[in-house]
Amino acid sequence: MQTEADYYALFEAYQRGELAAGARASLEARLSAEPRLHQLYTEYVELTGTLLAYGERRRARHTISALHEAMLAAETTPATEVASPLTYSVNPILRISRTERKLREFWSGHRATVGVAASVAVLAVFSTLLGLNLWRAANTEPSNGYRMLRLEVAQLKQSQRALTRKVAKTSGVPAAPVNNGKFSGTGFALTADGYLVTSSHVIQGADSLLIEGRDHQRYHAETVYTDAKHDLAILRIKDSGFDGFGKLPYTFKGGQADIGERVYTLGYPREDVVYGEGALSARSGFNGDTAFYQVSIPVNPGNSGGPLLDERGNLIGVVSGRQDDAQSAAFATKSSYLVRLVDSLKNRQPVQPYHLPRTNQLTGAARAQQVKRLQDFVFVVKVYE
Amino acid sequence: MNMDSTTALAADAHLIRAIQGGDERALSQLYRLHWPMVSHFVLQNSGSEDDARDVYQEGVMVFYEKVREGSLELSCQIKTYLYAVCRRLWLKRLTTKSRLHGVRLLDEEEYGPYLNTGAEDDLQEAEERDRRFATMSEALTHLGEPCRSLLEGFYLLEKSMLDLTAEHGYTNADTAKTQKYKCLTRLKKLFFASYKEV
Repeated sequence: MQTEADYYALFEAYQRGELAAGARASLEARLSAEPRLHQLYTEYVELTGTLLAYGERRRARHTISALHEAMLAAETTPATEVASPLTYSVNPILRISRTERKLREFWSGHRATVGVAASVAVLAVFSTLLGLNLWRAANTEPSNGYRMLRLEVAQLKQSQRALTRKVAKTSGVPAAPVNNGKFSGTGFALTADGYLVTSSHVIQGADSLLIEGRDHQRYHAETVYTDAKHDLAILRIKDSGFDGFGKLPYTFKGGQADIGERVYTLGYPREDVVYGEGALSARSGFNGDTAFYQVSIPVNPGNSGGPLLDERGNLIGVVSGRQDDAQSAAFATKSSYLVRLVDSLKNRQPVQPYHLPRTNQLTGAARAQQVKRLQDFVFVVKVYE
Repeated sequence: MNMDSTTALAADAHLIRAIQGGDERALSQLYRLHWPMVSHFVLQNSGSEDDARDVYQEGVMVFYEKVREGSLELSCQIKTYLYAVCRRLWLKRLTTKSRLHGVRLLDEEEYGPYLNTGAEDDLQEAEERDRRFATMSEALTHLGEPCRSLLEGFYLLEKSMLDLTAEHGYTNADTAKTQKYKCLTRLKKLFFASYKEV
């Protein structure tokens, strides 16, 4: 009787085909005839097969984990990569470092979010900047430092409207809105019989003009001539009931005034007449414009078109504007330009002749007396658009 | 089917043939090619780099053994097959680890459809094999020396009988052979005893 070990030797030889033909045939016959032997053989095959497969598995595992190490090594030192001798092509592998790969993963995962956030941020920044810029541009006059001094009375008008609305509500009858004008400036008499002078920028875009004196007497006026270059405008009162201002107390100076002369002005930066004084600082105006004087009088919107007089009561200029970025630098058109303008207008056969005053009644009078006489000839010019 | 997947399938077929022929370079290429996909998948689904490595190695092992056996029936790209295998493996680990039911995985659309790739069956087969190998490993441990090193030397490390004779100090190859057969009978008892009872 053979032992199991003997049979194993037999099986091994059989598997390897080392048995002689006769022995093999007899073994095969026994295997099919004896179930016990057959089971023994099956177990043997399974056992050795498992052993061999197990060995294969261990080798494969070793190979594959070596592959991982090799891959990591190749990632860190891509220079050692040997060109593959394989002739077929598979997708090329990107050789990237671990950090970069993590970054790439992050990027591919959050690309959309990051993009949206960035564009929102950029949009927000630019729209804010643009909006601020527009807002500021809309709120500042494009004056590059030079401020025309006509007064906008929109605020006043608004409160007036509110008032009329209230009245309308209580009375039930729609009251005509009291129109106070959109802008206002100052003007003064040029001749006794109804010509006035103001700044041309005060009346620019005007539909109708209203002249209002200290005594609240109102006159309608029309524009006779404007000289935008020298910021001068000549108006004429067209009311039929108007019978002249009376004799003008001041004269117009044809020549130039001197630096250092003490000068003063009257104007309507608000509802009441306001006096301002200072000295003549320079014989040229903003940006060296020789048609203007620079004077050190604090002026405000509404002062435009006001008369500028020297100590002896000579009218030497018409207030025009001020420099925003300089302390107390106001500008006034020289009276010589006004005189020349009037001379040229005389030749045009006007409706009414120009009679400039010849005698000065202010000379020698104290300043307060001068102002008292002068204020009757200074008016508010209200502009309706 | 578009051009891309056609060429990809052709490349896959090349690769499989090369791996079957024992080309390590081809295996290495395959390994590197699909590692980013699997590592990304595992990392995205609350796994670590090491987890990804384990899962991927196991997945490649399943693929590799199937290829070597010549029993791989691929109905899709290797990429999709590997994705399916690794996905299944990681899902299993996650469920045992967290003991949560209904673990949800974030999938990459790109690698779908990962179902119906035959990966499920192959994995079950691989699991069965794993169990057998584990039993074998245990049986070998219990076998004791010198039987264990003799059998391991012959079957696992594929050493020749002559080398083993010299190594173990047997007088001749026949003695060693006799010893080997005796060891085999003992191993058989140990192996089948524990393998059948499981």
